[in-house]
Amino acid sequence: MYRYDEFDHQMVRARVDQFRGQVARRLSGELSEDAFKPLRLMNGVYLQLHAYMLRVAIPYGTVSSRQMRKLASIARDYDRGYGHFTTRQNIQYNWPALERMPDLLEELAEVEMHAIQTSGNCIRNVTADQYAGAIADEIEDPRIISEIIRQWSTFHPEFSFLPRKFKIAVTGHANDRAAIRFHDIGIVVRKNAAGDVGYEVHVGGGLGRTPFIAKKIADFVPAQKLLAYLEAIMRVYNRLGRRDNAYKARIKILVHEIGAEEMKARVEAEFARIDGKGNYDLPTGELERIRAYFRAPEFLKLPQESETLTRALAQDASFAAWFKNNVVAHKIPGYAIVNISLKPIGGIPGDASDAQMDAIADIAQAHSFDEIRVTHEQNLVLPHVTLDDLPTVYTALKAADLATPNIGKISDQIACPGLDYCNLANARSIPVAQDISNRFAELQRQNDIGELRIKISGCINACGHHHVGHIGILGVDKKGTEFYQITLGGSPDEHAAIGDITGPAFTADKIVDAVENIVDTYLDLRQGDERFIDTYRRLGMSPFKERLYQDV
Amino acid sequence: MSKLYFKNGQLAEDIWEHVADDGALNTDMPSIISLQRFKNEADSLADRTAPLGIRIDAGSKQGEDIEEIASRLGELNLIAIDFPTFRNGRGYSTARILREHLDFSGELRAMGEILLDQLIFMHRCGFSSYEIDPAQNPTLDSAHFSAAFASLPDAYQPAGDDNQGILWRRGKK
Repeated sequence: MYRYDEFDHQMVRARVDQFRGQVARRLSGELSEDAFKPLRLMNGVYLQLHAYMLRVAIPYGTVSSRQMRKLASIARDYDRGYGHFTTRQNIQYNWPALERMPDLLEELAEVEMHAIQTSGNCIRNVTADQYAGAIADEIEDPRIISEIIRQWSTFHPEFSFLPRKFKIAVTGHANDRAAIRFHDIGIVVRKNAAGDVGYEVHVGGGLGRTPFIAKKIADFVPAQKLLAYLEAIMRVYNRLGRRDNAYKARIKILVHEIGAEEMKARVEAEFARIDGKGNYDLPTGELERIRAYFRAPEFLKLPQESETLTRALAQDASFAAWFKNNVVAHKIPGYAIVNISLKPIGGIPGDASDAQMDAIADIAQAHSFDEIRVTHEQNLVLPHVTLDDLPTVYTALKAADLATPNIGKISDQIACPGLDYCNLANARSIPVAQDISNRFAELQRQNDIGELRIKISGCINACGHHHVGHIGILGVDKKGTEFYQITLGGSPDEHAAIGDITGPAFTADKIVDAVENIVDTYLDLRQGDERFIDTYRRLGMSPFKERLYQDV
Repeated sequence: MSKLYFKNGQLAEDIWEHVADDGALNTDMPSIISLQRFKNEADSLADRTAPLGIRIDAGSKQGEDIEEIASRLGELNLIAIDFPTFRNGRGYSTARILREHLDFSGELRAMGEILLDQLIFMHRCGFSSYEIDPAQNPTLDSAHFSAAFASLPDAYQPAGDDNQGILWRRGKK
């Protein structure tokens, strides 16, 4: 993992001190809420429906046990005993008091964490593949360049007041788990014929009210040149991006309006000017310094098979069920990647209590080289667990109510906070997710349905990623009543697709029946072990639509 | 109350005069005109000897493009970039292009709505002076100004100032 040096510490502390002064000025009345707003937003403090909310950055979703314990103690001491992991691999606290925010941020700084650039029209926290450094066939750990991007984008003097917020995601693997094609900039790590690392760059993807799949504008930007190239993209956007209409201000609209070819030409022209100055190559020494932080841990030499595991699988059916759904192959023999579901049946997607966070920290310390990852699907990951340790890890997770065996299944849903918390929302999301989870609670049924990703947003801003759900649900308000529109066939990965709307929306009391209707149609029509998304791609909308509205 | 003008972090006397598009241009006073007027009156301005400056409008949908007059920057002693709201950050890029690509070495002035916390960013992008409307920044004085410059102790990345940024400095140790 990356560790702060004296410089990083100094920068974060300076920001905490500055914010302490700003909060004092707000509390004394010297600053109005209006004047305070841009200042608090620079520090991740939002004003929600009921209270201030703090969003803490978890760069590329990597946390240590020590950091996780701090997140737990903050949940306990400053909030109501829980935190909420988000689709941007961050954690949000819904109830901290403003006057205690500076202390909270100071505590975060002790464990090399902060809330800088988690809001506002700047370059936000960089996200990456949660299986980084653990999955086989990875080109390079995406966190190396993510950390470099984190530093480059922090307090960037030119790009802190962009037309709109800006999100960058990185994957180092052909299987995209970071939804890079739905980010303002999506980066795929590549290697050229000579074995040098470089980056494929996509630009202009996004969700929200006008979803777009990003366009590829570079096949291979050499590692030393990437920051200059990103600087060129940002400058083109900062100059040409629209500021007359917040809904048309994202880079996806610019790319759509001028076209990918024109965007590419403009970026290349600007890049040539920056590169031509000759002093913008990231020094190799710094690249190597940061690369060294992400070296593989000291893996043991283990056999491919584990007798302990084989025995446990034979003896304990519930362990076997969890293993089948939540454990993924590791690149090193004798190791596994463990997914921790934050989607208990009927629970709130992404929530974790302080006790659960402490338990996860302990398990990671004992069994996963101190590392935990946050996924954009609002789950957690223990990246490096030996096969021998899996039964022990399972028992410990189960004791903390963290062993729900539903990764990738219908109850493993993404949901935004919705109208229960958010002042932008038109409808509630969490209760819909809970109802669906309860309806499909039975594990046998979930396994029979197989991989099916439901994503729920409480408004058109699409924080719940409904456009890229296999089944997407969008809450809308019609004359004071909550309605839910359904989309089918969305996909966030390397086969990126935006879902198609089925037809008229459903009321809150009909939405779960509608989802069940779609699932039943799939079960009737699937061929062999075809996944829902494959059946949809083969047959298209009509059979689903026909049955969904036959009684209407 | 008239405007406040800071140069080198100190409150200073502003010798420049803003001249409207239909206003008479004084031949011996340092004057700031719009980019449009500078383009329209190219011929008559060519003979001007007194210091001349222009004002760039950041715009909302689109901004004015400084590169249209790249070949005439030698006629200018000052370029003022107007921030219509503190949220409109287009002017930061304009400043860097002027300094780093077009080698403009005259006075680069920020004006309009400016937050204290933005001064350090503006400085890093190459701005050298600040014209501030006290109505929008009622509490601003020199002390605030130096505090704002000190609010960020260092930088990660290179920009338009002398600080190369720690990402670059570390690698050269």
